[in-house]
Amino acid sequence: MTAFLPETLAAAALVLMLSIAVAGRLTGRFTWLTAALASAVVLEGAVAAWSSEAALFSATYRIDAFSQGFKLVLALALLITVLASRASSVAAEREPEYYFFLFSATLGMMMLTSAADLLTLYVALELSSYSLYVLSAFKLDRRSAEAGVKYLLFGAAASGLLLWGLSLIAGLSGTTHLAEIAQKAPALAAGEPIYLAALFLSLLALLFKLSAFPAHFWAPDVYESAPTPAVLFIATASKAAAVAILVRVFLWLGMPAGAGWALGFLAFVSMSLGNAVALVQTDVKRLLAYSSIAQAGYILVGLLAGSFEGYSSVIFYAAAYVLMNAAAFLVTGVVAEAARHDNPQLSHFDGLAERSPLLALVLLISLLSLAGIPPLAGFTGKWILFSAAMDKGHWFLVLWGVLNSVVSLFYYLTLVKHAYLEKPKEPGRLTVGPIAKGMAWALMLAIVLLGIFPDGVIGLCREAVELAAF
Amino acid sequence: MILTSILLCPIVGLLAILATPARRENTVRFIALAASGASMALSLYLLTLFDPTDPSFQLVEHVSWVPAYGIHYTNGVDGLNLTLILLTSIVIFCGILVSWTVTYRVKDFFANMLFLVTGVFGVFMTTNLFFFFLFYEIAVIPMYLLIVIWGSTNKQYAAMKLTLYLLLGSALMFAGFLYMYSLPGAHTFDLVWLKQHVTFSSAVQNVLFLGLFLGFGVLAACFPFHVWSPDGHVAAPTAASMLHAGVLMKLGAYGILRVAVYLLPDGARTWAPLIATLALCNIVYGAMVATQQRDLKYIIGFSSVSHMGIVLLGIATLTPAGVNGAVFQMFAHGIMTALFFACVGWIYDGCHTRMLDELGGLSRTAPMIAAFFIIAGLCGLGLPGMGSFVAEFLVTLAAVKTYPLIGVASILALLITAYYVLTAVQKAFYGPPNPHHADFKDITPLQFVPRAILVGWLVFTGIFPQVFLNWISVSVKALLGA
Repeated sequence: MTAFLPETLAAAALVLMLSIAVAGRLTGRFTWLTAALASAVVLEGAVAAWSSEAALFSATYRIDAFSQGFKLVLALALLITVLASRASSVAAEREPEYYFFLFSATLGMMMLTSAADLLTLYVALELSSYSLYVLSAFKLDRRSAEAGVKYLLFGAAASGLLLWGLSLIAGLSGTTHLAEIAQKAPALAAGEPIYLAALFLSLLALLFKLSAFPAHFWAPDVYESAPTPAVLFIATASKAAAVAILVRVFLWLGMPAGAGWALGFLAFVSMSLGNAVALVQTDVKRLLAYSSIAQAGYILVGLLAGSFEGYSSVIFYAAAYVLMNAAAFLVTGVVAEAARHDNPQLSHFDGLAERSPLLALVLLISLLSLAGIPPLAGFTGKWILFSAAMDKGHWFLVLWGVLNSVVSLFYYLTLVKHAYLEKPKEPGRLTVGPIAKGMAWALMLAIVLLGIFPDGVIGLCREAVELAAF
Repeated sequence: MILTSILLCPIVGLLAILATPARRENTVRFIALAASGASMALSLYLLTLFDPTDPSFQLVEHVSWVPAYGIHYTNGVDGLNLTLILLTSIVIFCGILVSWTVTYRVKDFFANMLFLVTGVFGVFMTTNLFFFFLFYEIAVIPMYLLIVIWGSTNKQYAAMKLTLYLLLGSALMFAGFLYMYSLPGAHTFDLVWLKQHVTFSSAVQNVLFLGLFLGFGVLAACFPFHVWSPDGHVAAPTAASMLHAGVLMKLGAYGILRVAVYLLPDGARTWAPLIATLALCNIVYGAMVATQQRDLKYIIGFSSVSHMGIVLLGIATLTPAGVNGAVFQMFAHGIMTALFFACVGWIYDGCHTRMLDELGGLSRTAPMIAAFFIIAGLCGLGLPGMGSFVAEFLVTLAAVKTYPLIGVASILALLITAYYVLTAVQKAFYGPPNPHHADFKDITPLQFVPRAILVGWLVFTGIFPQVFLNWISVSVKALLGA
């Protein structure tokens, strides 16, 4: 049963949190400690289940290097989020519930990476989505509630489209098994226009998770108003899960003729729109939201390549993406806590280099990595992503993507400028706990090392794609 | 592993500095000095290992990095980058010495300097386009921080302008490199493999060469993409200006030769007249604008634009003599402009102004710094006996043969150079002294050393140009396929 270990552990942790919530509050930091230990155990489980391979539950649930790799990334993102939540005042109010939803979201995402059946896919997606809706409304103030409702409404609409699309696909192919649909896919794509429409509807819902155009508009509001640690989780784990299911679907169902153009258009708009709007943001979380829309565009360019290289570089980029966004939001969270303002503006970062040189350096590295500056993980990821796309002849999108990276550097550097140049508004050093410090170092090293020595991870990504195909 | 060792010197120094507490400023300085000194010693040693008769890459190092994507860590030297590696090591060593006077955020400053120079060394020695790009951008970002934190005069504007311009150029490089990778038979970023195994059709060559030329041209300050450079040079702190004008601008010209001309000779022939025209604009326009400047650093900034025009003109001739001159000019101009900025930096630190009208008569209070500046100035206006003379002579000779009109015009432009250099020298160092600067101190013995080293190289290049041309010419011939 090692194959199913990470999910089992996440479910157990979820039950544990539920019992703590029911049995009454634990004093002090015990809830957090339990949650941290539990997420470490989940990570341990993901490591233990690393190399398993299985088809569970009448082959509706596929366990391979691909899914296990993503589960590892998800467990890592969970651990980072739980550790980062320690300093957050948001989590402190109703701690057990907060962690309960983190675990349930993780469980849903893990199931999503293994989904080999339309029903599993839908249930897994909804489990993770609903947990995130609650998490984003966790602050109990108007803005947070507004974010939660917005997320919920758009999310529900997206999931309605998904259900519609999936039901059409199931009806046309006569099965809900992805593997069987995949066998019929070429015939369906050639003969049934409805099949294409259904695929497009489903794709739209998955793009919603990735926050790519045209399903991007929830991101700025949710990022801005949701509690920062929850945003950290949405910006990392949820994106990784979206990439996982997108790659799986594309890998199995293939890309119907004509879809390339549509996807290319979406990537083009996503990159341009995200970067252009990010230029004028002053709220850091909103800025990062628009940057994530642009990043979704880059990921689409890789998916568009539709090749073995394309998919494996998308996975690599997703891993890098989790690291750099986690680092950026970690710093944002600490700054937000210190300023007692959960919507840190650019000015809240003034003089960060003097108040905490470490955090300023982590911010610098994560932002430069997001902008694709070497020798960081984001650069290497973008390089292989774009070289895969170029290989398939998408020279225009690649050129546009690189030019967009230059534009993005402008607003990333604006944030850097606030951190390194402006005089601090508040005197004294920022208090950074040992856990945050440790995480900062670990993330920074990971971003740098993954950028300079990417070969091992690239090898794993290639292996994952190789084994995920059939 | 000599090349990697040269590259590792600044990296090890950087890590050592990061591990040193910020308050131990002198330790930081000495680490930086040791690291740059070691890389200079190794570069000099490299000269002895180099065989000038062998046209191919020598001392090749190869490590497979990401073989699945054609990325290999490969280094190699020929006469072209040998001189530039030497130039880099000299300028960084002198730059570190000149920066001894920096007192604000010392640790961060030297860490940035070493990081910057890592990028420069990397670009010059690698023969893989992935690493070429990687090191290129490594050189750009510390420059942003150096200007924005330690700079002067409109530094935020200049830093952002410089960074965005350079990255815009690199975006074109990025797309161009990936396009080469995607060509049939390529699937690698290895320069030599691309040259030997990939046939670029002439249509591809024309488009690709133009893209790459525009990309590299931004960094080489080619007209009309030079606008970032004077602002950047002026705003940067002294040592960063030295490195930037002395070495970084050469990265662009080097890229044109090493990647664009080497891989795409037909494209180069198509666009050579355009490059020559733009180069002439550089030479004339840079010199004309320099005559109108009152700020010493702006004068040198625009003179760099003008002198880079000579490099570009040499490249545009596509003849061995012209390209020899261009490469030699890169070295000579690098040393000269580093000396210029080192002198202006000292004057600015002492007088707190660089405006010609507010200076005057400095040669009386500070004869040494005046002498250094004048030597650099004489080299700049192409006085025989100085390195630049030989380089400019070679380039204009070749240019007159290939593009008679442009060649002759470029010779006339040298007169403008003489005019603004002599005006600047006259106004700053002669004439009535400004009483405000009565207590301006001449250079200290420690600060004498780096400038003296630079002067030594200037004179050496002027008297023994054959030494350099010996290294360069065989490789240039091979590069041009002549």
